[in-house]
Amino acid sequence: MKTMSLCVTVNGESKQWTIAPGDLLLDVLRREGYFGVKRGCEKGECGACTVLVHGKPVNSCLIFAAQVEGGEILTIEGLAQGDTLDPLQEAFLDHGAVQCGFCTPGMILAAKALLDRQPHPTEEQVREALAGNYCRCTGYRKPVEAVLAAAARRKVPTEVAR
Amino acid sequence: MFDRVEAFYRPESVPEVLRLLQRSKGQARMVAGGTDLVVEGDRSVRFLIDLTRAGLTYIRSRDTTCVIGATTTLADLEESTAIHALAGGLLSRAAAACGSVQNRNLATLGGNLAHGSPAADMATPLLALDASVVVADGEGRHKMPLAEYFGRAWQNGASHALLIEVRVPMPPQNGRCGWSFQKFGRTEVDLSLVNAAAGLQLDARGRVKWARLALGAVAAAPFRALPVESLMAGREFDHSLLAEAGEEVMREVQPIADLRASEEFRRELSRVVAGRALEECAARAGCSL
Repeated sequence: MKTMSLCVTVNGESKQWTIAPGDLLLDVLRREGYFGVKRGCEKGECGACTVLVHGKPVNSCLIFAAQVEGGEILTIEGLAQGDTLDPLQEAFLDHGAVQCGFCTPGMILAAKALLDRQPHPTEEQVREALAGNYCRCTGYRKPVEAVLAAAARRKVPTEVAR
Repeated sequence: MFDRVEAFYRPESVPEVLRLLQRSKGQARMVAGGTDLVVEGDRSVRFLIDLTRAGLTYIRSRDTTCVIGATTTLADLEESTAIHALAGGLLSRAAAACGSVQNRNLATLGGNLAHGSPAADMATPLLALDASVVVADGEGRHKMPLAEYFGRAWQNGASHALLIEVRVPMPPQNGRCGWSFQKFGRTEVDLSLVNAAAGLQLDARGRVKWARLALGAVAAAPFRALPVESLMAGREFDHSLLAEAGEEVMREVQPIADLRASEEFRRELSRVVAGRALEECAARAGCSL
């Protein structure tokens, strides 16, 4: 098997990994222990494998690892600051937006990307941002409420919006 | 994973892409967003050529043309102010209707067209706007109308030539113009069962100066419904014209039947979706029925 080297920053840490040229980003991240990146449909439909690449949510099952060379990746493991959860994570717990938890990492990362660009989204914008994340347990109402609550709680002045 | 892949190339210029394509003698696949290639599941590919670093991500507005590089993502099109300004934001609206946010951050305009899907959502608005494409192969660059590109891609496979950019002529700004993109799928994020893009200009008395209508997912390739366009020209825009146009649409489509919908349903839906598109155009041009 041919191999190549991949240099990326994951959750703020520089990594150099040996990968196969045909590896998908999902495969590499899970192999390296980032199990918060879930293997769902592997067709870019369910959103369970969502990670942020340069701050944008993408399906890690659709992108070749080699394409992310030099890139910055955020997985759910990198969201909390030590023991302090991100306001989005707190809000998902407070609102009962987590049931089996399989879709939760992808939903929270998709929501984070939204709030980073649009700190005060409307409900419609939240629903649009989460449209690529399937939940098979709780439905979508509680996650949507959680994101709106987190937005209200995150004291981000509007002018900082990128 | 793709375990037969022996090498992953990340060329940084178009000539480098073309050299790699030539060298790999048909055993390479080009990849940009991966939203089609990876899902398609042909795992026999031996070489992958990543196009996203080849300098083809750009949107340039010139006097009479807007030029969009092939690896520009659908998310880029959604956000670009130049694209918002073009034909009332027709292309931004169509891009926003494709898949999920995660898909649109990956999927590229070039991939949407080069993959040759009859349901490609960007194809109909670009056909309605009379767009051309520039492709490159070993012999140089060639410009051709998008409709011709679809014809050729169907005959000999799109993978041999590299799609460089899409050129969209700026539509006339004068007069009462409106543009619309409409799609109907089983869900917001699913593939189109039918999509339609239309443009319309009305004169001061509410008569159609010109109409454009493109339909997707209801024939082997997206196409312009030229008989509908000529039927509408010069006529007053009213319910009876819309009904006539709808009848003509149903005659022109050649839909398939599959797990998503029957042929009859797609045919009926073509009339409805085309009608919605034409009505929205008229409303944007200041004429509501």
